[in-house]
Amino acid sequence: MKRQGRRVGAVAVSSIGLLLAACSTPTNPAQLFQLSSDSAARRASETRRFETPDEAELLSASAAVLQDLGFQVTESVRELGFLRAAKERSARERGQEIWRSVIFTISTLGLVTGSNTLILVPVDLHQQINASLVTRRADTDAYEVRILFYRVVWQTDGISGDQAIPPGQQRLERIQDPVLYQQFFARLSKAVFLEAHKI
Amino acid sequence: MSTEPRLLRSRMLPFVLLLLTGCVSPPEPPENLLAPSEEQMRLRNMQTRTFDVSDRDQAIRAVIAALQDLGFIIERANEPLGLVTAARFAEPRWVDVVGVTVTVRPQGAGQMMIRANAIFNNEPITDAQVYQNFFATLERSLFVGRN
Repeated sequence: MKRQGRRVGAVAVSSIGLLLAACSTPTNPAQLFQLSSDSAARRASETRRFETPDEAELLSASAAVLQDLGFQVTESVRELGFLRAAKERSARERGQEIWRSVIFTISTLGLVTGSNTLILVPVDLHQQINASLVTRRADTDAYEVRILFYRVVWQTDGISGDQAIPPGQQRLERIQDPVLYQQFFARLSKAVFLEAHKI
Repeated sequence: MSTEPRLLRSRMLPFVLLLLTGCVSPPEPPENLLAPSEEQMRLRNMQTRTFDVSDRDQAIRAVIAALQDLGFIIERANEPLGLVTAARFAEPRWVDVVGVTVTVRPQGAGQMMIRANAIFNNEPITDAQVYQNFFATLERSLFVGRN
């Protein structure tokens, strides 16, 4: 009876592992430096054109807007029109916490049969939101501003049966919410008294 | 009774092996450890390309734009040294990281030498196709301009 429970637990753990592994297909490095089909659309959503010959003004206004949004400028190169800024925030989400406790409760059922099937899924704990901004001349008296928001997320610890999952696993992802980009460019165009044109 | 010596023997074996490895002297470092190998030359050739551009700033900015188009996050840029460092996660598998460092250096009149070093999960990429793809995107960014 006890042995059977343990076997069921082992099967459950390995099948969950298999499910997780199925989510990701291996990457082919040869495709990494190829333009993807959505690169033009992404470029359009991340870029706006401003009718001004003053690049420095555009850059310092961008830094000011990022500061208004709670970012700290971490890197700046005036000669290349480059800025990078970061802010730290909690990454806790209620949905993930509920999911974690549901899985944990289900996994405790295995204890009835005497096998260790405890599963505590790691959840997002902390995040660093980053912005990478570049200005580039589009015309004799027009500049383009391209900004990319992305975040680094750190996860909590977890348990999978007898194995402990250490905390601090990292992942990096692009923030795709178009509203964030629109808000940024709306503020920037107010700051430089210029209209932001879509490209 | 017969299983006991066998058990003993199987326990002895690792110790004997351990003793034997102690007798082997450490390998001598090869003499040409720091000399450029053919492999390195080949890698450098595929990582380097010369473009007919006279403006260095314009070349660096084109590199940045090309990397952005390829989904890279610009991490660092240094104008005096002509350096650009960028990274991205290989979507959709975010556990794979790709890093790239590009250097732009003037070479003769009206020419720029651009070198890209790409790393995939801490291993240098040695596939010539990868660099060809990068330079194709860079060429578009440099000459077609606003693609």
